[in-house]
Amino acid sequence: MGVKGEWGSGGVGRGRLTAVLGDPQFWVPVIVLIAGLVVLRWIS
Amino acid sequence: MDQLTTLHASRLRRLQLVGVASGFTAGAWLGAAEAPTKMVTLGIPPVVISLVMVLGVFLARWSLPALLRGSAAIGADVREAPHLVIWAILAGCLWAVANTLTVFAIRDIGLSIAFPLWNANSLLGIVWGFLFFNELRGAGWPRWLGVLGGAVLMFVGATLLAVVSSTQAPSGHALRGVVAALTAGALWGTMYIPYRKAYLTGMNPLSFVTFFTIGELIMMTGLALSDQGGVTPLVAELTRAKAVIFWLLCGGFVWVIGDLFQQYAAKYIGISRGIPLSNTNQLWGLAWGILVFGELKGGGSGVYARVIGGSVLMALGAVAIAVATATEREHERWQEAGRREGERYGIDPAYVQSAMTGETTHPAAQRRSWLDWVVVLGATAVFVGFATVAQVPHLALNWSAMVGLVAASLALLGGAGWALWRVTGFN
Repeated sequence: MGVKGEWGSGGVGRGRLTAVLGDPQFWVPVIVLIAGLVVLRWIS
Repeated sequence: MDQLTTLHASRLRRLQLVGVASGFTAGAWLGAAEAPTKMVTLGIPPVVISLVMVLGVFLARWSLPALLRGSAAIGADVREAPHLVIWAILAGCLWAVANTLTVFAIRDIGLSIAFPLWNANSLLGIVWGFLFFNELRGAGWPRWLGVLGGAVLMFVGATLLAVVSSTQAPSGHALRGVVAALTAGALWGTMYIPYRKAYLTGMNPLSFVTFFTIGELIMMTGLALSDQGGVTPLVAELTRAKAVIFWLLCGGFVWVIGDLFQQYAAKYIGISRGIPLSNTNQLWGLAWGILVFGELKGGGSGVYARVIGGSVLMALGAVAIAVATATEREHERWQEAGRREGERYGIDPAYVQSAMTGETTHPAAQRRSWLDWVVVLGATAVFVGFATVAQVPHLALNWSAMVGLVAASLALLGGAGWALWRVTGFN
């Protein structure tokens, strides 16, 4: 699951993005954010 | 990976004390952040209020880290763990939506009811801390009791405080307000997942917030444009609000000071303890409301009994959490979670270890450059500019109470800031 390559060289490369997207914990805040936006839309 | 060694017991104790002090200081400053917003007269759309506060937050979140640590150190941190930029921006988006929801919640059900509802985020923080970051694992039942019991006590105390002025709540749209407040709590409770992820991996809180605020500003600008129907109506609304923009910017700035301490609390005592301690902001908000702005004036003895009862319960809950600090065994479980993060994202274990123990990760990078001074001066100029066109609303304030609360908040800021500097060098 680890990201191989050029850590420390700066920037957010494709490997890192893949690692973030492959992290199951990432999707918890994403889902909550979408739910929040839906509620905000309903309220306003 | 064995470089992640067990912390020396005395070092661990010092870090935990610094974390607890940060949590209490966060409460004071997050509570005080409400005071400038009370200067705002009615008639400004909630989304515009939120946008201007976020602008203040943005200015503070770039200028304070530049002043305290320098942008070179922030750049060095990002090069070690660049994936955290994505997490920080996501956390910023969560914050912006939650903050906007709270403005709607205050409008529909009043601050006193909305506040404890969104402060239920601490219970969610305990769940995420346990599930994802090994918090409270191997902690033993006394600490479980301290944290969970303390959080429940705080929630009950907060609810009691809410009941106090429920009769003063604005009428209509009660359900809408409750849903808005609870959703804000869910967003804020979940926002601590990125926080904890960043600090387990070693990022400095001052670095994290600079990227966090990009997410805030992007999301908030998008929401404001969508709400107002484009750039021209939004600019027109901002122009109409120019007399109060300064107060809202101040609210954002004061909020950032509280949030910075909240970040350090999340780093050194975890989210399951850090969030409830920061939630003592409700007590401070109440103190400002009652003592300075004369809220609840003319209330019967029952009202004041409930205020005192609720406040005592909240304070007892905070104390229970503050003394239930992590044991060495629990801290080893935190380090396991840190190792997992390091392996997943390929971060240098030495960086993770030094940052987790509050040590300097890039000593050479901690110097201020001309860029940092430009950022600080620019942010100051914006505040001064809006201060010149600001109007002071006619409010009956209790000045001696205000001086007392400001002095207490500054004392906490000075004490906790000094301790943070001595023990961690703001790492």
